[in-house]
Amino acid sequence: MSVVKPICNQKEANDEVVVIVWDVFVRLFHWLLVVLVATTAITGFLGQEWWLNIHLWAGYGIGLMITLRLVWGFFGTNYARFSSFIFRPGKTYDFTRQLLRGKPDHYTGHNPAGALMVFALLLVLTGLTISGLIVLGGQEKQGILAGVISYALGSEVAEFHEIAAFLLLFMIAAHIGGVLLESYLSRQNLVRSMINGRKNVPLVKAAIAGKVVLVGKALFAISIIAVMAGALVWSLMRLPVSGFKVIKQNSAYASECGECHHAYHPSLLPESSWNKILTGLSDHFGEDASLDREVVKILNQYLKLNAARHWDTEAANNLRRVSAKDPLSITASPYWVLRHKDIDERVFKRNKIASKGNCIACHIDAGSGRFDDQMINVPDE
Amino acid sequence: MRTLIIPLAATILLSATLPGVAGPAQDEILKHFQEQAKMEFSVERGQELFTKSYGTGKPKTPSCTTCHTKSPLKSGKTRVGKVIAPMALSRTKDRYSDLKKVEKWFRRNCKGVIGRECTPQEKVDFLAFMISK
Ligand code: HEC
Ligand code: HEC
Ligand code: HEC
Repeated sequence: MSVVKPICNQKEANDEVVVIVWDVFVRLFHWLLVVLVATTAITGFLGQEWWLNIHLWAGYGIGLMITLRLVWGFFGTNYARFSSFIFRPGKTYDFTRQLLRGKPDHYTGHNPAGALMVFALLLVLTGLTISGLIVLGGQEKQGILAGVISYALGSEVAEFHEIAAFLLLFMIAAHIGGVLLESYLSRQNLVRSMINGRKNVPLVKAAIAGKVVLVGKALFAISIIAVMAGALVWSLMRLPVSGFKVIKQNSAYASECGECHHAYHPSLLPESSWNKILTGLSDHFGEDASLDREVVKILNQYLKLNAARHWDTEAANNLRRVSAKDPLSITASPYWVLRHKDIDERVFKRNKIASKGNCIACHIDAGSGRFDDQMINVPDE
Repeated sequence: MRTLIIPLAATILLSATLPGVAGPAQDEILKHFQEQAKMEFSVERGQELFTKSYGTGKPKTPSCTTCHTKSPLKSGKTRVGKVIAPMALSRTKDRYSDLKKVEKWFRRNCKGVIGRECTPQEKVDFLAFMISK
């Protein structure tokens, strides 16, 4: 830690004093954001499906932090205000040229290049948060947008979310590089500044490092945002989940098709496959599952009405493309194979699982057809 | 005469030789098969049917015990992994109480294991064995 000199020390004009540039909020914001972004990156890039909840909570945290930072950008202390680091393009150009020559001007707060990076980071993080919510609502049918986003839109936005995430990684690398470079050129430890808030500043510039915080206005803005966001979330959460419904299990289906395996959710196969299954019950995957004709009629009705195309879940959207060779099988479909390719064959032989077709052994919510990532629990034995 | 005597004898015998777990529903079903059977039911023949390895049905299911395990007192498992409650009536109280269900599974499982439907004789033997357990 550098020796802290009193802020209003009477010295010569070119002497330096130590002032608090980054207030407590800015510092907390910065390091919490580091933790949250690292968490989303780890759970997102390397994540197992059941880490999704951690990814989501960190994502919500980032959304909250950005909102607060925006408010602080208008009503916070001097160097936290956006107005203090919005530079004319000419200034940014000059600074870049100085930087290339290794002699950049000194800026107490963000320099023009750093400022550009701050805005870009905020923008990309906002994009990631919003696109994340759209993917969650469309693909997983979860979160506040589950009622309004289709699977197709969710899937398209998923690609944007991924690209933006890679972009963010590059930006973070550039940001760290920039900080190290400026620390070297200006002979100040900027990382430490972001921890204790202090920077060495020429005496002439120290005067403006005051703490003019508009606490009242900031709180007012936050309450308005909270009320509006609350109302929006409340009304969105009241909408039924799009393309998903809780269906009452048909009792004939539950008893006749739930004896040898759990009754597969009707959304897991297209109508044509169900039809073929029902017409070939006397040789059903190597077993006799024959039924009376009247019962088959009832089952046909039920399965036709609830087959894959009537659903917009991730499972239904993907499993409706069946294997050409084995159109009756869910576990032979390309999507099923893709999603389970990392699971060792021996896992399926475990006592409590016994076969690939025993979805409910690993997917707690198999009966509802949701197949949420958070509802996967592979038995150990 | 036979048609009259056998069911009558069977009912008496049933209540005499099998433990008291069989309720009226099971008695009714036993009577139903005994009426069509040639001989009196035999617990021993029922056990043999249950444990024998046939190899004349579907290759994956050579024996009733493939799914129901060797002991009627234990829970079995289907090929897909769903647990089957023990076959012994003493363990699973609602077994053999619905003729339609019993017929359906005899039809499926006998075809699957033996390669043909079971005779009424085989059915009543099997039921007697399970009810005695
Ligand atoms: C007699 C037992 C039995 C009954 C009754 C039965 N199934 Fe099956 N089913 C099986 C077996 C065995 C498999 C094959 C599982 C495997 O190979 O892992 C299977 C597989 C399936 C599959 C493919 C699952 C996969 O692994 O991809 C579907 C779909 C299916 N059954 C639907 C039905 C329907 C609909 C009914 C009711 C009409 C029904 N089953 C009744 C035994 C049965
Ligand atoms: C051995 C346990 C196991 C069994 C049995 C199993 N699954 Fe899965 N399933 C998983 C795991 C683990 C994942 C996550 C894989 C990944 O992406 O890392 C998964 C992923 C999925 C997904 C994607 C979920 C999502 O939102 O990303 C679907 C859909 C799915 N399974 C359907 C099924 C169906 C249908 C069956 C039965 C025919 C089945 N699974 C049987 C373990 C299992
Ligand atoms: C492929 C697995 C499988 C094989 C092999 C099998 N069973 Fe079953 N059995 C089942 C299933 C599944 C049920 C229905 C589940 C239940 O009732 O708990 C059942 C039910 C029955 C029932 C009806 C029970 C009731 O409560 O009414 C009878 C009777 C029966 N089996 C007899 C046999 C006989 C006899 C054999 C051998 C010839 C046999 N099973 C072989 C799987 C099998």
